[in-house]
Amino acid sequence: MSKVHVNPIGRRTVLKGAASAAALLAAPAVLTRRARAEATIGGDIDWKQASGTRITVGVIPAGYFQNLEAVLPQFREISGVDVTLEATPPGQIRQKAILDLSSKTGKWATSATDPMYYPLYVANGWIDPLTDFLDKPELTDKAWFDYDDLLENWRGAASIDGVPYGIPYEGEATIQIYRSDVYEKLGLSPAETLDDYAANAAKVNDPANRLWGAALRGFKGAGQNMYIYPSIFLAFGGKWFDGDKVVVNGPEAAAALDWYVSLLKSTSPEGVENWNWPDIADAFSQGTLGSYIDTHNSAALLADPSKSKVVGKVGFARWPKGPAGRRVTSIWNWSFPINASVSDKEKAAAWLFIQWAGSKEVQAATSYGFEGGYKRLGVNRTSLWESAEYKGLLDGIGAGLTQTTMDSIKEDTDVDWRPRVPQWAALGEVVATAVQSALVGQATPAAALDAAQGQVDGIMKQ
Amino acid sequence: MSSTRRRPATLRRVILTVAAALILFIWAFPVLWAVVVSLKSESEVLAYPPSVIFEPTLRNFRDALTGNLSIASSLMTSIILATATTVLTIILAVPAAYAFARLRLPARQGLGFYTLVTQMIPPVGLVIPYYLILNRVGLLDTYTGMITVYLTFSLPFAIWLMVSYLEDIPREMEEAAYLDKASRLQALWHVILPQIRGGIGVTTVFVFLNAWNEFLFAVQLGGNRIRPVTVAMHNFVSIEQTLWAKLAAAALVAMLPVIVIGILAQRQIVKGLTVGAVKGGGRR
Repeated sequence: MSKVHVNPIGRRTVLKGAASAAALLAAPAVLTRRARAEATIGGDIDWKQASGTRITVGVIPAGYFQNLEAVLPQFREISGVDVTLEATPPGQIRQKAILDLSSKTGKWATSATDPMYYPLYVANGWIDPLTDFLDKPELTDKAWFDYDDLLENWRGAASIDGVPYGIPYEGEATIQIYRSDVYEKLGLSPAETLDDYAANAAKVNDPANRLWGAALRGFKGAGQNMYIYPSIFLAFGGKWFDGDKVVVNGPEAAAALDWYVSLLKSTSPEGVENWNWPDIADAFSQGTLGSYIDTHNSAALLADPSKSKVVGKVGFARWPKGPAGRRVTSIWNWSFPINASVSDKEKAAAWLFIQWAGSKEVQAATSYGFEGGYKRLGVNRTSLWESAEYKGLLDGIGAGLTQTTMDSIKEDTDVDWRPRVPQWAALGEVVATAVQSALVGQATPAAALDAAQGQVDGIMKQ
Repeated sequence: MSSTRRRPATLRRVILTVAAALILFIWAFPVLWAVVVSLKSESEVLAYPPSVIFEPTLRNFRDALTGNLSIASSLMTSIILATATTVLTIILAVPAAYAFARLRLPARQGLGFYTLVTQMIPPVGLVIPYYLILNRVGLLDTYTGMITVYLTFSLPFAIWLMVSYLEDIPREMEEAAYLDKASRLQALWHVILPQIRGGIGVTTVFVFLNAWNEFLFAVQLGGNRIRPVTVAMHNFVSIEQTLWAKLAAAALVAMLPVIVIGILAQRQIVKGLTVGAVKGGGRR
């Protein structure tokens, strides 16, 4: 990603040589993108008010940010702000943002942020409340930006005590994705409950013919097993808090983890405890999985005939209900906050960028309106989710994808999907480790969670 | 030698060759697999059973070098970083190691130990201090900052390695040079250095390799300007999918400079073993 915007590298001619070689390679891409740019945007504000400011934005390597980068020349033209995206692997972006924020370096004026990090950032005063920006008519045309059009739960996830701190750019819902042809042949219907889900998986499971019942993310860590486990935990009636105390080893937790472990042990391919979301989607696209529960975004890959063998054989349904009668989807989105330690000029530039990226026009231009092959499936606005163009894009991948995802976002989202405490980064690691130790059979679910509770208590005392 | 003694020797050679080939295969397999994957299309990569006969394509190499996720500029960054680190390390480590091996320094033991201690800190514990220091002096995301950080772990290692080579050179050789009125530096340059070229070769390879493969500091202390291949390759592992074929192609391209350095250094290592003035000498 970096090569599109070649920065002046250094004083030495050797280095300049390297830079110009890279610039030459990148030149055609830049030219075509510039030529395509029609630099128009709504919003009755002075878009040039931060012209000449340079800002860097931390993002992760992902198609939805690559699409944003492709239309970025338009923003540069409209605003005169020299903005570059810095792609940082998802495993490192959080640490890097924390380093930057806590040491007040001000390297990233804004960066793609995990909703779970807002409590930590806000508790430390590392990011600014966005009311400072949203309520100023010279900075925001409220009628045009239409903050309330942003999906409510995503807005909520980037707010603390009702105060907005981040603008969601991209997000997803977790849904059941299943092989409609296999289910039809076996007379199955998509699972309504977690018990159904396990029963379906058992019926489909036929390893001798390279077809396994189901798979869920098993790999340890944030966004991995901790992307799946909290949904099961809450669906089993688990509660993160007992008063002020964070509890991870209640009877619901043990039952939830037991369900998770026995599903993967009995109906998933070997090694699933090391699987990540792309591994699961790859396996499903090769026709070796009956079902999986994961982001609706992964469906894009399943409709690509050059990679997928299951085009047109995919069905979608919401997360099954747990014993507590709840369906709980993950709440996952990337939003942009404003770094409190950058200059006012940079804050204004960052806000213009965030507003532009979150606007209806740019959301559409990076989704169904995008010229490239990959079109974003996780736009941030209710009005877009209800538009015919967007529904056409999603339902083109598989019937019912729009409805299933929209219902999940509206009905199954719990803003407190994970305990929103500043210590979450450390707590999450502890629970992730417990989940994995149960998955690999090092400890029983109950024993693994009991051990985790001890560590959780220690962390919360600090 | 009688023929009865030769047969077991031949048998032994055969067994050893087979064993060596087997062990080598274990190490070579991932690389060979990467070669195969890099020549396939993304859809063939996932095919099961893995296709053995397929139409090879060089598209992945083209995409890795010139596509919108190109690693070309990062490759140059890595070459500059690793080369500068290696050259500076060798220039500084050889005299430092010589001093440790030969001079009567005050607190020599203590200093030598201190040099090693810096190697005992897990690198992840250094990320935050390094970040703060580089930020304070304005060297985040610069070559100067990055190379300085790399020197902090390559230098102690190189010094420690070079001391052992230098201690193996008999003092008599230097003393002979002094009798011929050579200065200490002249003796180091003309007498000692040719003797330790093998050691320098080995050290060069290790230091270059470490700097080349470094990821942790690069991702946290670098940025858009300093983005070595180890970080850039993550662009092929996007949130939606892993582009295995392009990743394999990029990894193979990124291996080339290391292989070149390895071959160049190997020549010096072999020369160092054979040209020596006193074979099998030293204090061992």
